[in-house]
Amino acid sequence: MADDAISRVEGFDAARAGKRAECDGGGAIAGTRYAQREEFTGTLTGAYVDHGDPPWRWYLLKDLERRPDGYPGEAVWCLAENLFVDGEP
Amino acid sequence: MGRNPLHTKLCDMLGIDFPIIAFTHCKDVVAAVVNAGGFAVLGEAMHTADEIGADIKWIRSRVGDKPFGIDLVLPASAPDADTLETLLSKIPDEHKRFAAHIKEKYNVPEPKGSQALHQWGGLNQDIARKQLEVILDERAPVFVSGLGSPAFMLKAAHERGMKVFGLIGKARQAKREIEAGVDAIIAQGYDAAGHTGPIGTFSIVPEVVAIAGDTPVIAAGGVTTGRHLAASLCLGAAGVWTGTLWLASRESDNDMIIKEKLVAATADDTVYSKSVSGFAMRVLKCPWTEEWAKPEAPRVLNSPYQMLLSSDYIQAANDHRRADLMFEAAGQGVSFIDSMKPAKQIVNDMVEEALSVFEEITGESADA
Repeated sequence: MADDAISRVEGFDAARAGKRAECDGGGAIAGTRYAQREEFTGTLTGAYVDHGDPPWRWYLLKDLERRPDGYPGEAVWCLAENLFVDGEP
Repeated sequence: MGRNPLHTKLCDMLGIDFPIIAFTHCKDVVAAVVNAGGFAVLGEAMHTADEIGADIKWIRSRVGDKPFGIDLVLPASAPDADTLETLLSKIPDEHKRFAAHIKEKYNVPEPKGSQALHQWGGLNQDIARKQLEVILDERAPVFVSGLGSPAFMLKAAHERGMKVFGLIGKARQAKREIEAGVDAIIAQGYDAAGHTGPIGTFSIVPEVVAIAGDTPVIAAGGVTTGRHLAASLCLGAAGVWTGTLWLASRESDNDMIIKEKLVAATADDTVYSKSVSGFAMRVLKCPWTEEWAKPEAPRVLNSPYQMLLSSDYIQAANDHRRADLMFEAAGQGVSFIDSMKPAKQIVNDMVEEALSVFEEITGESADA
């Protein structure tokens, strides 16, 4: 895994495109020891990116019905394992 | 009492004497707790891959073959990032004026150096990935993901003989990570320091225990005393995750001013505030949090804007060691921190108190 250039492989998951999903997201707050949790609800576009090896998969969630107060974007990339898709176990 | 109530499956998994996990940003605390028979995890989210590699080697040189852990905040969601200049330009004038008002009212000096926040440039998938690679290369005994699911790297870690723990704030995330095969799950309640889940420790722990099967559950959030340890085991946990407890320990590299504040503080001196980062997090109250809580304060901005706004105050307070301005993340268990004890004594006191509690309950003597 020790490689300076971390690969990004884009793909499209047709089975998930258009599905409503919730994301228990968040991350570190830059420059601090702190982290934050963020919750989103929106629609999956089907687009995904596999980051590095072993692949770390991220899905694009758009048309956000729920996002943190003041969240500036219209879409968010969500870690696959933190995503809860309607109709999937 | 037939068996030692403090010897849990977490002790068997890790080969430790006591089911006490210290989460800390200080290497000396890690070494002291591990050598005292507990387990310790070093928070490395804001360190470079090179620094993490050096820290792992340093800890090994102090603890030998005893296990320890490294924690990263794997991101779980990621917006597109703006440049620092673009971000700063988006902060409304009203908020800049309010920050200037606080600065004037409390005579907050200028920071001495450039701000760590501005130098870092954000934590994205690339940075986290490189941090993770060195942890795998060094085969740290345990990797802990403080936020995003570690499922994608479980196989790589297990192939290297490592164990992987996930920290969660909701039962559905616990279920997902347990099904993926994490070796232990840390169920963190609302009492905790910093970012927390929305559910209280007394509720989240048994909820996760009920779905965890054989996977050990570790209780987090407000755990500070032996009585908390005993209660956590009674809830079905196999151990406890403690953070605030170590901030004022003798080995901790926290500023003495912060240690004194922690010793003096009670739970009422903590506040769940968005004013520091734009996200709700539990910290010790300070002029910054108190001013932003007033009715005349503007509405707190979202991250990262509020963090950019507060960074001058934070950096200046720390650079100039202004006791009246400084603060630290702290959980509600801070009430129980009443002295600056060595980490070994903290472990021993916690064990003795927990055993006393079990003796009270059962009427039989207990030995660790």
